[in-house]
Amino acid sequence: MSKEMVIQIENARVEMGSRTILSVDHLEISRGERVAVIGNSGSGKTTLMRMLKGYVPCLEGKVVVMGDVFPIRDPQKMKNHHRHIGMIHQHFDLIGRETVWQNVYHGRLGYVSLLKSVFGVCSERDLQICAQAIHEVHLEGKQRRFARTLSGGEQQRVAIARALAQEPTILLADEPVSSLDPALAEDIMDLLVSVCDAYDLTLMMSLHLPELARRYADRILALKNGEIMWDGSSDSLSNDRICEIYEFMGTNGVVNGNGTRASRSAFTWPYGWQGQPLPGG
Amino acid sequence: MAGKVSLFLAVSALLFWSFQGSEFSPGQFWRGIPQLFHFFGRMTPPDWSVWDVLLTSAIETLQTTIAGTFLGALFAYPLGVLAASNWTPIWVHLPIKAFMAFVRSIPLLLLALLFVSAVGLGPFPGVLALAVHSVGVLGRFVAEEIEATDPKPLLALQGTGASSLQIIQHGLIPQVLPQMVAHLAIRFEMNLRDSTILGLVGAGGLGFYVFLYVKQFQWQKSGVLVLAIIALVFAGEFAAWQVRKRLI
Ligand SMILES: Nc1ncnc2c1ncn2[C@@H]1O[C@H](COP(=O)(O)OP(=O)(O)OP(=O)(O)O)[C@@H](O)[C@H]1O
Ligand SMILES: [Mg+2]
Repeated sequence: MSKEMVIQIENARVEMGSRTILSVDHLEISRGERVAVIGNSGSGKTTLMRMLKGYVPCLEGKVVVMGDVFPIRDPQKMKNHHRHIGMIHQHFDLIGRETVWQNVYHGRLGYVSLLKSVFGVCSERDLQICAQAIHEVHLEGKQRRFARTLSGGEQQRVAIARALAQEPTILLADEPVSSLDPALAEDIMDLLVSVCDAYDLTLMMSLHLPELARRYADRILALKNGEIMWDGSSDSLSNDRICEIYEFMGTNGVVNGNGTRASRSAFTWPYGWQGQPLPGG
Repeated sequence: MAGKVSLFLAVSALLFWSFQGSEFSPGQFWRGIPQLFHFFGRMTPPDWSVWDVLLTSAIETLQTTIAGTFLGALFAYPLGVLAASNWTPIWVHLPIKAFMAFVRSIPLLLLALLFVSAVGLGPFPGVLALAVHSVGVLGRFVAEEIEATDPKPLLALQGTGASSLQIIQHGLIPQVLPQMVAHLAIRFEMNLRDSTILGLVGAGGLGFYVFLYVKQFQWQKSGVLVLAIIALVFAGEFAAWQVRKRLI
């Protein structure tokens, strides 16, 4: 029996304005794989993940994520899609004025009805899942703390717990350790990989350091100018290749503060007119 | 250099033009100073026999303020969310923003006059005027506050599968609540100050009796009410300050 495909992409293209910023000819990722995405700043790592999440539309080609064929227009289906893909961000993106527990509970929002979440009704199962997720990231003692009072490493662990509470199949991690110091980065990477094993998740993470990619991933995708220029097992990625991938480092003139420019205006009313090019694009 | 000189000349001309046009006259002011003291002199000693009027009208002013601010906030918060340009499409937020700007541009006393002619004398038109005015001012703050909040955590919430209203409840509200309450406190303070003079156009409260007694040349009685206004406004300011202090 061949392994189940969770992500299939054929000839997908993402445009911003009139510029193609991502163009993937062929990519298949099967269940349980641990994929690292590397590449220069501006090479399209974040865009790839945003596309898989359904935040940015792909103009043509075929994208199938867990049986859902893009574009997903039905709001209920989109919600479903979202909760099956957990996402972790470089800047953690927690709600700072809520507690650790509340932030983890946010991972359950895709499952509970609005009425229940308004009155804070949690089912026994929700409570259990959140508790387990918090246990998984070793934050039991800090459940009542406000998220903004935590250190960066702790915040990232909360973000991981929130993603776990979603009961996802795929975990996307966009530079999960870029804003942490090296020792802490290894802790978080260890944790990430171990929870993916424990929950049988497919992991796709973008990393700035090729060493981390080689150490923690079993497959590496290298992007350059929005195209996949290398795709193979992490052992087979030679140092020469890495030099080639990063050859034009910094010379493509694209300064993108990890999507900060894009994210300013990226939030539109969730299910309304998603799929439009972002303003300023 | 030439630029600075011409700027200086332009500003001087503007100031001269304004003072001249507004018939500014230091001499006249100087001659008026005794008159000023005379005016206050006539208010003393305060005639405390009007304490019952004072009490009822001060309470009325307070009630008008609370009701007007509440009513305004009730509409300002949802409208403010809809007026946030990063949350709604332009055909939603632009008309709402324009409406709020229009409302803000109408002076409060004019609004009060409008409602007095519509629903008659008394505190009720005052409530309506304060409410409408508050929608314009508060709604704009709400919209600006929402536009200024970091959208990334909200996007992350969307990514968990939360619906729009859940994002508002669990993401937006926690992030903006302290600022919202602070703005509400400030608005209450300002509305209290404004509602003391709504009586000028017949919209109830302390101001109504101040002008009534002044018109009847009962200076000592109006003096008491002026003192009450000062005390009330001061108390409102103190309360708003206490609220803000606890939040920030
Ligand atoms: N909203 C947007 N509008 C216009 N251009 C965009 C937008 N988002 C991304 N881009 C462009 O798409 C390209 C890829 O961006 P992306 O954020 O995916 O790169 P990245 O590989 O994640 O870079 P980094 O390592 O800096 O995070 C960049 O050239 C960027 O300028
Ligand atoms: Mg990025």
